[in-house]
Amino acid sequence: MRKPLLLSLAGSAILAGFSVAALPFSRGLFRVPRTPYDANEASFLAPAWILLQRAAEIVPRDVSVVVRGEPPDATNDSYLHRFAVALLPGRKIVPAAVWNVASAPETLREADYEVVVGGKALAPPGSRLVLSIPEGSVWKRER
Amino acid sequence: MRAGYLWLASFAILPLVGAPFLGHRAFRGFGILCRTVLAGGVGMVLLSATMTVWALAGWRWGPVLVLASAAVAFALRGLVRSHLPLPARRGEGRGEGRSLTGIALTVTAISVLAALAATIAARSTSPDLLLFWGPKAQQFASAGTIDTAFLSAPHLEYLHVYYPPLVTNVFAFGAIAAGRFPWGAATLTFPLLLAATAAGLAGILRADAPAPRAAAASALVICALGLAGIASSVAGNAEPFLLFFEILGVALLLTPAARSDAGKLLAGLFLAGAAAAKVEGLPFVLAVVVLFLLLDRSAARPLARSALLLLAPTIVSIGAWLAFGATRRVFFGYKGYGHSLEFHWDHLSAVVSAIGIALWRVGYALPFAVPILVLLATRPKDRRVFLPLGVAAALSVFLVLTYLQSTQDPRLWISWSAARTFSPVTALVALASFCGREEPR
Repeated sequence: MRKPLLLSLAGSAILAGFSVAALPFSRGLFRVPRTPYDANEASFLAPAWILLQRAAEIVPRDVSVVVRGEPPDATNDSYLHRFAVALLPGRKIVPAAVWNVASAPETLREADYEVVVGGKALAPPGSRLVLSIPEGSVWKRER
Repeated sequence: MRAGYLWLASFAILPLVGAPFLGHRAFRGFGILCRTVLAGGVGMVLLSATMTVWALAGWRWGPVLVLASAAVAFALRGLVRSHLPLPARRGEGRGEGRSLTGIALTVTAISVLAALAATIAARSTSPDLLLFWGPKAQQFASAGTIDTAFLSAPHLEYLHVYYPPLVTNVFAFGAIAAGRFPWGAATLTFPLLLAATAAGLAGILRADAPAPRAAAASALVICALGLAGIASSVAGNAEPFLLFFEILGVALLLTPAARSDAGKLLAGLFLAGAAAAKVEGLPFVLAVVVLFLLLDRSAARPLARSALLLLAPTIVSIGAWLAFGATRRVFFGYKGYGHSLEFHWDHLSAVVSAIGIALWRVGYALPFAVPILVLLATRPKDRRVFLPLGVAAALSVFLVLTYLQSTQDPRLWISWSAARTFSPVTALVALASFCGREEPR
């Protein structure tokens, strides 16, 4: 009696076929992605990932950093705080927003560096530009 | 790139840690590839538990952890005196049997390769890797212990500090070896563990069935998990670890291995891995042990001894973690999503429909529908089928009740979590189709 076995194999083949069909062929399967989220439902993370990886190369350890989006959005800024904790290890991350509530402006001014994801940011007062790429900019607060 | 390779290479230590236990002659019937995978699983559980105990004692992690974990594996091997050797593996079969095995292995390989391609193409990366699994592992590696100051820092409550420690410990161990936490390499744990589950499952099932039947059942499980994993983006999170431990733990209890102390302790170690990988691993373990003791009386006797062998690794592993949380005043037990035993039954229809929508979005619910259809068509008659099906039912009830605990509208939460949390259910249904079929010769 091979019917159960053949049914298992047929089911497996269908599932394997759909697995292959789920691959992102249209984006170029063999193109090296710039971030782990390029072809993902969470691809909106990609710009922040690229900017924070670049920021990690120039922002020294043990300094304080605030990461925010442009235009400002408390929900987006809450997530950017979390991404900064992940991608800027060893720095003190000052949240621009927590649980979708924006932090007080004076809290942000305490940070030594300001990372602005997206858009064209106005220079934060008393800051100089240290990195500008299409995904955003990094500013150093002059004391 | 170099850090990524080193991080992945550190996983080669895990089978070496578990090898002293899997070297026990009771396990020889599993074959070398399967035993290597099982040793890796045991190594992961022992290394993670040792890392937690080290942190509880206030000691910094170092290379001596590996020796301590391997010593525990030796000690466990010494504990298992009586054993019932597994029957010799049956032959590959001839002609058609070999062809069927070949087809099963081919579709399994396609699924694993698709998971690998999806991961490399950045199709299946989990946001949870960036949100909490990665940051915690990175910080623990940097601190050389489970960093209490980090876990209790203001504004970091989203890290789910009470989540059990296996995934962060294993990630941190590799990061210590590599010098940093490699985010891209961490995503490769999805195809790696899917391949390990495939090799381990086929080897375990072969202890009870000819190669075509074992390979076909394993193929169904792996193909369902492959598609579900690709579509629900599990690369880099805890699901591949959870499923690896859950599926192999239950599979061990479906084979003659469940009749020996050695087999029960091995299953117990895998159940401990499930409990230490994710919160829902703990109710899973309890359901497995209770159902095994109730359903397979002849294998479970003496009941107290069997319960001890199956549960002791989980008690030690999770006990050490909860003791760490309590002594450091970081967390006290697991946190629910609402008040315990308070369920919002008015959300029931929304919960059920949201689960249906979430499963539909994963390959048109095929990873969930196909194993059910195969099971219905197969109609297994063996009593053992009630173990995976009973656990699947218990886990489904637990998940629905968890969603019903939310005071808020749970639909958004369900939309991004249900396909992942219900993956073990479909894997168990697929595994149930293995039980009690006639064997092709």
